[in-house]
This record gives sequence, C-alpha cells and structure tokens, in this order.
Amino acid sequence: MTENNYNEIMKLLCDRLEGVSNSNVQITSETNIISQLSIDSIKLLNLIMEIEDTFDISIPINALTDVQTVRELADLVYKIKSAS
Amino acid sequence: MSSTITKLNAPLTQAFDFQPSSELQFTPTFNTLTQRLADFDTLTSALEYAAEGITGYNFYDAKGNLRSVLPYGRLRDNARAKAQRLYSFDLPRGSRVAIIADTSPEFVELFFACRYAGLVPFAMPIPVNLGSHAIYVQQLRGMLDSGEASIALANIDYVNFLEEAVEGVESIRWAGTPSKLGELPAIDMEFQPNHPDETAYLQFTSGSTRTPRGVVITERALMCNLQGIVRNGLEIRPGDRSASWLPFYHDMGLVGLVLAPMVTQLSVDYLATRDFAIRPLQWLKLISRNRCTVAFSQPFGLKLCTLRARETDLKELDLSCWRAAGIGAEMIRPETLRNFAEKFASAGFNENAFLPCYGLAESTLAVTFSRIGAGCKSIQVDSKTLIDKKMAARLQADGRKQNEFVNCGRPLPGHIVKIVNEDEEQLSEMMVGSVLVHGDSLMTGYYNNSEETNRALKSGNWLDTGDIGFLFGGDLFITGRRTDVIIVNGRNIRAQDIEELAEQQPEVRSREASAFGVEGEDGATTIVLVIECRLASIIERQSLTTRLQQLVYMAFGVNCVVELVPPHTLPRTSSGKLSRFAAKQGYIQRTNLAGQLSFVESGDR
Repeated sequence: MTENNYNEIMKLLCDRLEGVSNSNVQITSETNIISQLSIDSIKLLNLIMEIEDTFDISIPINALTDVQTVRELADLVYKIKSAS
Repeated sequence: MSSTITKLNAPLTQAFDFQPSSELQFTPTFNTLTQRLADFDTLTSALEYAAEGITGYNFYDAKGNLRSVLPYGRLRDNARAKAQRLYSFDLPRGSRVAIIADTSPEFVELFFACRYAGLVPFAMPIPVNLGSHAIYVQQLRGMLDSGEASIALANIDYVNFLEEAVEGVESIRWAGTPSKLGELPAIDMEFQPNHPDETAYLQFTSGSTRTPRGVVITERALMCNLQGIVRNGLEIRPGDRSASWLPFYHDMGLVGLVLAPMVTQLSVDYLATRDFAIRPLQWLKLISRNRCTVAFSQPFGLKLCTLRARETDLKELDLSCWRAAGIGAEMIRPETLRNFAEKFASAGFNENAFLPCYGLAESTLAVTFSRIGAGCKSIQVDSKTLIDKKMAARLQADGRKQNEFVNCGRPLPGHIVKIVNEDEEQLSEMMVGSVLVHGDSLMTGYYNNSEETNRALKSGNWLDTGDIGFLFGGDLFITGRRTDVIIVNGRNIRAQDIEELAEQQPEVRSREASAFGVEGEDGATTIVLVIECRLASIIERQSLTTRLQQLVYMAFGVNCVVELVPPHTLPRTSSGKLSRFAAKQGYIQRTNLAGQLSFVESGDR
C-alpha cells in the first residue's frame, strides 16, 4: 500500500460521507463523523458495506469504537487493507 | 486429564482452522433421536439428551460461508471440559460469570459450562457504535458491578475492553479469554445436578452505566417458558430448522433462538448481528438454502431486508419453507409486515407465516403468541375514542381518523394477562390500560435490587410490564410502550440512561434532564433530550448541545435533538419527580408538532 492508496481511501470516504450526510458541512479529514454529520445507523451500515466491497476488506466491529473523525476511519481502512 | 482429551476438547474454531471450510458439514435437519419438546427439568439435562443426536449449531460468516459447526454432542463435551476449568476457582454455587456474547461457539460453550459447574452466567453486549470505547467500558463495568460477577470472559476481539472494565470491580476474581481459561488446571469433580429452583441465568435489560438491572430467571421459569414457546407458540415438529441473526445477549436471541432449539434438538444456522445489519439478505439466503422453517426478527430487521432486496436477489430466494416468521421485541406496525410480504411474495414468502408475539425478559421471553399459520391480524379503532375514553372502539365509518393495532394473540398456558387502570382496578375488554402478567415464567426479581423488583412485581406476583394495551376476544393488543423506553431502529433505549449521561455533565444538575421519543409522520422515532440550563453564553450553550449529541451517539448510536430550556420548565410530579410524559407534551406544544399529542400515557415506572 502506498500514499496514493491512502489518498484514494480518504477521497472515497469524503465523497461518500458528503453523499449521505444531511448537513452542509465541508468534509475534511478532521470532520467528526459523530458530532458534525448527522448520519443514522442505517446510513453508517451502508457506508461500511460500500467500504468493505470497494476495498475487499472486513472491518471488525471492535475497531470502530475508537473511530470518531474521517481521518481515524481512513487510518483504520488503510491499516486493514495493508495487512490483508 | 490426559493431553489427548485436552486436545479433543480444544475450542472448535482452533480445531477447524486446519480444514478448508468447504470440508465442513452443517448439522442435519432431521435427527436420529426421538424429538422431545422441552420436557426437561433443567438446561443441562436437556443438553445431555440433545447430545445423543446429530443436530446442533452452525455459524456462518458475512459472505454466507460455514465457519464452524457445533453439534450438541460436542457442545456438551466442550462445556463439561470448560466447567472443570471453572471448578479450579472453587466458587460458591450460584456465583456469577459474565461473558461478552458475540455470535460464536465459545459463548455457547461457556454459557453451558457455567450451568454444569453450578454457576450463573450472564451475557454482556458487544460494542456497536462508532467512537463508543469509553462508554462501552462503563456499561460493562456497570453490569459486572450490578451482577457481582466473580469471573469475566471475552474472546480475543473484546478482551481488552473487558480488562479495562474489570478494574476496580471488587467481586472479580479472574478475567480473560476462553483459551486462557483452558490453560487452568481441570478439576476432575463430579457435576452436581442443578435444581429447578436455582437461577439459570441473569438477563440484563439495559446498558445503563449506573443502574443496570439483571433479571433473575430460574431453571423452572425458563423451562416453563420454553415449553410454552415450542409447544403452543411454534408447534415444533421434526423437520423444523432455525436461522437467526439475533444477538445472543438479548432475550429473544438467547432464549428464543439458542435455548429453544436446543431443548427441542433442532439445528440452527447463525449469522452475526453485525453481518446481518450490513448484508441482511444473507439471513434470507440461509433460510432459503438450508430450508429453515422457524426464524424470528424484530420489525426493524424485516424493514432492513425490504430496503435492501433487489430484483436479482429475489430470483435466488425460495422462502416457501419458512412457516413461522416470529415478530416481536418492539411495537409491530402492520405496514412493515405488509411491505415485507409484498416484496418477498415472488420469492415464495407466505404472509400467513407471520407470527406476531409479545413478551419481555422479565417473563423469560414470551407472554403471548398469535395463532400459528394464521398470519398477522390487526384491528382498526377510532382514534378520538381511544384518546378521549381510553377505549378501543372498532371503526364504524370511513373517513374518521383511525389507529391500527396488531393482534399479539393469547397468553401461553399457565399465564394470565390483565389490563388495569391507574388505581390498579381490572378493566373490561376493549378498555386501554397497563398490561400486567401472571404465570410461572416470571422472574424472581432484579438481582440484588429490591427497590426495582418491588416496583415491577405487584402484590399477588403480577408483573407490571410497563406496556399499554387492551384485550379483545381474549387476545392482547399493544397500543403503546412504556414511556421509560424509547425504541429507535429496533433498539430499546431506556430514557433514564440518556438522562444519566446528561447529568454526568458539569453543567447539568440531577433531575434537570428529561428524555423521550417523538414519532414523526413516517413512524420514525426521534429522541428528544430537554435540559434545564442556566448557561447564558451562546458558545457555552452550543458546546453543551454538541457534547450531549455526541455522547448520546457514542452510547446508543442514534442522533438526538437537544433542547435547552430555562430552569423550572420541566413538569414535576408532587413528589418532585420529573414526568417524562408531561415533558413530552410540553415539548410538543412548544414546537407545535401537529397530531402528536399522545394517548399512551403510562406512569414513569
């Protein structure tokens, strides 16, 4: 995995989050998914499914408990993808 | 114990790591044993019988591949081996063992190991929300404290949360993973038979950090409820097979889809809850592929399936085998079932399979079942009469505003349901009031909590369910849930738990927060948190609002509306207690939500 892959992950996350979020917040790597975007649980599950399908990974549920910002989610996806 | 036997008793997943999963064979539907329908005195005697056959539990991954197989025979052997390890702690009979309950063979083995060793297991949830680490650990600690657990177990994925949670919990003697337990010496002691009056397990009904309540269920109550479910509710017979995604830490998942199949020697196919939530169609594919006949869901699960199914999926499914589609655990809206039936009719789903039922953990699991094979029946009543007279009057003319309620059926044999008013006087049919239950499935109480127990169990051993409804022709119709529970996307959230979170903030005093659910036109529930707030600065007010929304999301995975109001705005009862019902009415008036005034008042239990 390279830096390009990381950027690709980040871009996909930002695009997708913009698509599912109700708010008009400009999404950056520091955006807090919980407090700044109002994403309900169904949208979140959809997002996880998309990430899993796009990158062909499985995101363990216990890892999500330490994710709050877009960067933290991107880091997690990158870490799982690199290990696979 | 010899090392050969130790190896034979190694946890299943390890044993099967060496085989490609294509070589795994799921347990068959038809058994070599004569079927017995829950006529056992205890769980372990039921397992001893089931172990003689060839049926059991099967675990699938997110893609629908079979990952591990646990025939009841191997479950018994592994549970006994783990029980011998538990003996090495030399705990008094009835000591509690907490287990984080993911959908895995290890959890089931540990659960039964506790019963073989005369210990009382309780299941703890897995974390489900983004950013919930700290709050999840607090929730675990609350349960460990409240249940006075001596031993705590979690598999490798969750053990770090558990290790954080046990810090400072006085009752804990040992915490670790099942494989760490396996390293302890096995004590070769004879198993003492369990007595029907002994506690079988505790069931926690809330993730509250300060006041979790552990429902105490005896072996007798459990077997009584299981008998009612499998004989009268489901009319279980040879050839039945179950499929389930329900979490093992919920009563419906544990009692309904782990214990009920075992006491009738049925095979079950499991999908982890998380995998179902992301790909709900996997559940239907399992039912279709393995020809399952009995599968339960909350209405929310059906909604997820309806939302996600594409035309191509429908072509691959044949759901004509599914004869009992049990629906429970939250208010049932007829249109949710209609939409599902419409969507999956072309896949062979028969709407007469719908089996609405009503129950709660305080009555082990089930209270009423509708008639099997009859489908979902509902009644339309006049809204105005319902609000004005608290009476369900059947709709006579078109054009009047109406409410539709689902028939949840009759109480299981040996159980009685009655409806009472605020003065606890019994009401006649069609009159709306509190739903009370009496029967042998009732809990003995909340563990170590006589105050809550006395509030729930009324004189004559009548359980106040906190739900509101009426009887018609002997059948129960639920019109509203208790005001102290908010149900969002199929999850039960206690209002008190949200208020506690708010009160932990330095700006919020105790008894100055009130939480409740408000239903939108589309039937979706929004959580509203009203706070009496003295802050003047806009920045401070915004900071509090954002923080509260974030905390609620991390703890419960739902968004909420936070309203800051001046002190003394929230209505109180004569005893100074906040009334959630009145707080909700006040909020609705302030925000001018049309048609929202509720008729489902119930006491804040």
